[in-house]
Amino acid sequence: MKRSHHAEKSTGKGDPQCFTGEAGPAKFKVGERVRIKNLPDIFYTRCQVYTRGAEGTVAVVTHESPAPEDEAWDNTDKPEWFYIVRFKQKDLWGDYPDAYPNDSVQTEFSERWLEKA
Amino acid sequence: MRHIDLVGQLQPALHRPQHAPYPDAIDHALFRAYMRTSHDVGGEPDIPIRWEEKQEEQWEVNTYVTCECLAWRGIWNAEERRRRQNVDLGQTQYLGLPYYGRWLLSAARILVDKQHVTLTELINKIEEVRKRHEKKSPR
Repeated sequence: MKRSHHAEKSTGKGDPQCFTGEAGPAKFKVGERVRIKNLPDIFYTRCQVYTRGAEGTVAVVTHESPAPEDEAWDNTDKPEWFYIVRFKQKDLWGDYPDAYPNDSVQTEFSERWLEKA
Repeated sequence: MRHIDLVGQLQPALHRPQHAPYPDAIDHALFRAYMRTSHDVGGEPDIPIRWEEKQEEQWEVNTYVTCECLAWRGIWNAEERRRRQNVDLGQTQYLGLPYYGRWLLSAARILVDKQHVTLTELINKIEEVRKRHEKKSPR
């Protein structure tokens, strides 16, 4: 039986370790301000709509992997860096109560979703 | 109630008429609303959902293991599984079916899509099991 490209690549190494070193240099560093791009969202993505256009801070540069939009069709040719970005809740939800100005939320993006803020 | 009579009722409580619109009835916001991937629920207006503790049933555990084996054997990866069980099946089934029901359906679907079984074989097997089950526990 023919196994998926992805399964062959990750056997014995694990995922995402099997993509280490394939994405080139990371474009953003921890502490940098980034804005989430408002790219078309058709067929598949894991970039939440509520983050589109919002600005946040890179909290962790995590790992290299194909973006979900590619991996969901077993396309593993172009791994990207992934980042955990921290947002102030107030920057995501207009009516978030002023009583909690320090509340934050973190979520993960592949590099294509980020631009310098 | 026959299942065909239920289909027309599987819509949100608040909805706009949406039967075969003309192209100029779809503006950009409405198009994006339709294209929105059904698992991306963060920020949607909604009412609180009652949370209940529930132990996994045997068929749910079996379904989980089956899906993991499909990944292990290289039939799909976790992201393709999520696409199929959270998005491809559409909003109505995403909201309307139990969590592991969606896993099970997507496992059956990928075996058909990638031609590991034919839909005819799957239909015949389901029918065979249904008949066997009816003999054991007649209604």
